[in-house]
Amino acid sequence: MSESSPHLVVRGVSKRYGPTTVLDHIDLTIRRGELVTLLGPSGCGKTTLLRAIAGLAQPDTGKVELAGRDITHVPPHKRNVGVVFQSYALFPHLTVAGNVAFGLKVRGMARREIDVAVDRALSLVKLGHLASRRISALSGGQQQRVALARAIAVEPDVLLFDEALSALDRKLREEMQVELRRLLQEVKATAIFVTHDQDEALTMSDRVAVMNKGRIEQLAEPRELYLRPASLFALNFVGLSTRISGTVLSADNGKVDVETKVGRLSALGNFQAGSPVIVAARPEQLRIGGEDETNSASGRVRSVVFQGSRTLVEVDAGAGESLLAELSGRDGAIPGVHDEIRLSWPVAETFAFPMEAQA
Amino acid sequence: MTEAALSAPVAAPAVDRERLTAVGFVLPSFVIIAGVFALPLMLLLGVSFVDANGLTIANYKRLLGTPYYLWVIWNSLRLGLLTTIIAFLISYPAAFALARARGPLRSVLLATLFLPLAASVIVKAFAWTILLRSDGIVNETLMALGIIEDPIRMIFTETALIVGAVNIFLPFMILPIYAIVAQLDSRYAEAAATLGASPVVTFFRVILPLTLPGIIAGVALVFSLSVSAYVVPTLLIGEKYPTLATTIAKAYLLAREPGFGAAAGVVLLAIAIAVVALSARLSREPK
Ligand SMILES: Nc1ncnc2c1ncn2[C@@H]1O[C@H](COP(=O)(O)OP(=O)(O)OP(=O)(O)O)[C@@H](O)[C@H]1O
Ligand SMILES: [Mg+2]
Repeated sequence: MSESSPHLVVRGVSKRYGPTTVLDHIDLTIRRGELVTLLGPSGCGKTTLLRAIAGLAQPDTGKVELAGRDITHVPPHKRNVGVVFQSYALFPHLTVAGNVAFGLKVRGMARREIDVAVDRALSLVKLGHLASRRISALSGGQQQRVALARAIAVEPDVLLFDEALSALDRKLREEMQVELRRLLQEVKATAIFVTHDQDEALTMSDRVAVMNKGRIEQLAEPRELYLRPASLFALNFVGLSTRISGTVLSADNGKVDVETKVGRLSALGNFQAGSPVIVAARPEQLRIGGEDETNSASGRVRSVVFQGSRTLVEVDAGAGESLLAELSGRDGAIPGVHDEIRLSWPVAETFAFPMEAQA
Repeated sequence: MTEAALSAPVAAPAVDRERLTAVGFVLPSFVIIAGVFALPLMLLLGVSFVDANGLTIANYKRLLGTPYYLWVIWNSLRLGLLTTIIAFLISYPAAFALARARGPLRSVLLATLFLPLAASVIVKAFAWTILLRSDGIVNETLMALGIIEDPIRMIFTETALIVGAVNIFLPFMILPIYAIVAQLDSRYAEAAATLGASPVVTFFRVILPLTLPGIIAGVALVFSLSVSAYVVPTLLIGEKYPTLATTIAKAYLLAREPGFGAAAGVVLLAIAIAVVALSARLSREPK
């Protein structure tokens, strides 16, 4: 199978619980060896989508295909899908090695082969020395590794992680993110992570699917997601931004002029004149000073937050609007609180989103 | 609290106080157990080795060397084992059903389990005799419906005994199993399934081992209750099914042979302890 052919295909999957639509015609195609993150707020249906892929929840409509096989109606134990649960769900009556061996045993693998596979999986997660430990005698981070070893030992066609790192403290979590990505690439695993931590999503994945209310709003590489958010929701959910509301004055070829309370601004977008929109830009695009051919607005500095390599400056532009600029030390002087300043940013990095789509 | 905080650097007194508190909590139950159980038990053991002529093992010889009394012991064992096995087979699925039930249904089911515990064993055993008598409700109904012509002999059979015992001791099996099953995280079964285990394999490799503590508690309770049951066999089967419990009663009340009664008591206790210990042993996961 080629690297780029579709490996996991979710097509038009919907799921309702009573009156609530939890998954709303989800389409998702993942290539072999790809690491994809489902990112979204609590209750948007991330877990339900994973469960539908694993066969633990039956979708009402739609299809799931894995490795060229339609698995929509295949029971979970015949899907060859690995799941790492948030609570790990390690079997407390088995040892570390017993947990890792479980999937191999139920597949009827020979004992000698099982021992070899268990050793390999445990050494991958650097837990070889704890093979005979009881689960209750492990730290949270160690349990997380055992859960991972247990899932990869059976060489599943796709690995699903449901907030698998969220129980760890921040430092350990950041270490695990990097380690996990390296490890999954090493074993050439195809994986889906679920998280509501945007940093985790950007660090871990080749592509990020931003979910909202049972739909995938955008599926893109982390960089593109940040630079070209497809919706206001995606813009808000990943990274910081300046957002100003206004009304479209004129539209021309993918570009609009917008009348706002801080002045006239230009942005990328297709709208009819008179549409209410939100104009947005990422903070690192804003510079001190006014230039031609750019958007600009002025106001009084409300706060200055030093964050090491960068400084976040929030400017009160009046009329309830504010501007957020991220200045690096190289840009010269950092303004002080209460200073009157003018900020400008390129039109090509300014986006307009429909107002009603505000989450 | 303040005092403890102030004296925190001096660790030793704090530890001592903790230990003292622990002892304080344990002491009352220790005194009760020692006074109510251990002491009488020692007396029982002592008496069982005594007869009119002094120290002897004659009581045990008689009990374990006479075919009649071996049969009595066997009767007790049969009652205990059959009741326990049948109660387990009914209780295990029932505990799962109970744990799955939601809302009012669950409350009703739990109430039907707990309420009978409030009625005395004698009342319940009598209720069974009323049901199963030749002119009892079951026979009357069957005859009225024309299913049978003459009453079937139900009372005073071993079947009646086991049915009654199972009914009366059932809550002691269901409740401990239910307590475990209700806490069982459904993720374990899901994890097993995603690892390739079919529902049957998941049951034997995951569900059963994880619920074993409840099973062991239930088995230990029901076996020790039914092997030593007195009222149930007396009312539901009577003379023709003597058990260790009825033998003990006879030895004390009719025959005035306290030594022999004590020996029978010791044997009964030994059986109960042996089964409880054995089931606890089995609970340990074999490597
Ligand atoms: N078994 C169920 N029965 C009824 N409603 C459910 C069930 N499972 C999930 N839901 C509902 O579906 C919605 C989506 O749930 P889901 O667990 O997929 O969210 P999520 O994105 O994983 O959220 P979180 O980040 O909080 O884990 C929620 O509103 C939840 O209440
Ligand atoms: Mg979830």
